[in-house]
Amino acid sequence: MILIVCVDDHNGMMFNHRRQSQDRVLRADVLELTAGKTLWMNAYSRKQFTESDTGEIQVDEMFLDAAGDGEFCFVENADISGCVDRVEEIYLYHWNRDYPADMYFPVDLSGWKCAETKEFAGSSHEKITRERYIR
Amino acid sequence: MKNLRKWLLCVIAAVSLTLTACQGDAAANASVAADVAHAAGNILGSLAEAADSSSSGNSSGQGSGTLSGASGTSLTTGEFSLSDIPEYTGSPYVAVNGNVPYFTEDDLTDVSFESYSDLDSLGRCGVAYASVCTDTMPTEKRGSIGEVKPTGWINVKYDFVDGKYLYNRCHLIGYQLTAENANEKNLITGTRYFNVQGMLPFENLTADYVKETGNHVLYRVTPIFEGDNLVASGVLMEAESVEDEGDGVLFCVFVYNVQPGVTIDYATGKSELAKDGSTAGNGKTSGTSTSGNNSSGASGSSGKSNTSISGTESGTYILNTKTMKFHRPDCDSVKSIKSENREEYTGEREKLINEGYEACKSCKP
Repeated sequence: MILIVCVDDHNGMMFNHRRQSQDRVLRADVLELTAGKTLWMNAYSRKQFTESDTGEIQVDEMFLDAAGDGEFCFVENADISGCVDRVEEIYLYHWNRDYPADMYFPVDLSGWKCAETKEFAGSSHEKITRERYIR
Repeated sequence: MKNLRKWLLCVIAAVSLTLTACQGDAAANASVAADVAHAAGNILGSLAEAADSSSSGNSSGQGSGTLSGASGTSLTTGEFSLSDIPEYTGSPYVAVNGNVPYFTEDDLTDVSFESYSDLDSLGRCGVAYASVCTDTMPTEKRGSIGEVKPTGWINVKYDFVDGKYLYNRCHLIGYQLTAENANEKNLITGTRYFNVQGMLPFENLTADYVKETGNHVLYRVTPIFEGDNLVASGVLMEAESVEDEGDGVLFCVFVYNVQPGVTIDYATGKSELAKDGSTAGNGKTSGTSTSGNNSSGASGSSGKSNTSISGTESGTYILNTKTMKFHRPDCDSVKSIKSENREEYTGEREKLINEGYEACKSCKP
């Protein structure tokens, strides 16, 4: 499974059961990244993917259990901590902003290698950074 | 309007009685009750303004939205109590009321407006309230706010404070939301920590949501002063996205006006190094219980080795007028600043900080 997660400057993901932020350019990048492959998420995340071409999105509340090898998981409010051993790669999108947070990205990346970095301007974010981590 | 005033006064009376009847520190409750009356007084002022605006056909944004908002504000002051806020323990903010604002359904409006309470007899700010949308956001770079001296503005440098200065002029409603520059009704004395780690994340969250969706966010910031203190103990920040009924943005938090390592005399704004070297004020310290006797004013030397008033550093800096950060000219981050947000500045570093700029954490200018 390949995780896709968005974080702020402090690795925050959510605040008060809501995503910290969203950006249509970031969503387009996710869809481009996962084109032709299965992209798993839950109903909460699916609601923000209103773009017409949503590719191979599969919705399941237990998507982290359902996702197989090589399949992507877009994670916002799901608990990743129980499935870290099965994670093959992580795409971490940085908002490069400081938001309030009460749910944080739980993976210690010190044992991972950042294999690729990409920066781009979002529709409402000056600079979004995408990092690809491999073991 | 008369009925609304009568109802509001009943709420104030009820709240005051409730507070004095509460268990715990009666004196503290009484002083909070006084704050309720102060805030409510400001609300009454806003009501009057709103009435004047509507009767004269003024289209400055204070129409039915403000009236609706004003009644909501009274609910806030009626239900929020500083005595319910836990001591500061390391997090710059704490959720209040289950993180649900005290707005009513009627308050939610997709008509943009902004409203700032009149200063009270001590010169303190009251409630700032807005329905934020893209049309309330800035279209030009922020101007100087250095001429405003909010109550309790006794600024001192501490080496360990980001940007050195303890205090910032803190916008109740951030510039990025309603484009208010040097509006004295929207600026309070707040610590650097309170401003950057406490309030700014909520402003960012709200601003980015509005920019992305074009939706409105009902947004209210209430400074909480204990008794006659000149420095607020903190602010109550409430926000709810309108068009999606809080699906996108919903929060209700108290942000502590503290600075780790510094003890603040909230009565005056004086400050001193925390005696244990690490703890901050608790944001609920009354003016009489904090010494602060050895602190200095902004124009004098504190005489303490860890504080410094002297030394105004000057140089050439590159400003990012969007993120409000400043950098050394050779900082790597400078390359990624868009030309429209980039500005070169030569002059005193202190002036930049007073205008709300933050030093880049990477190049440390």
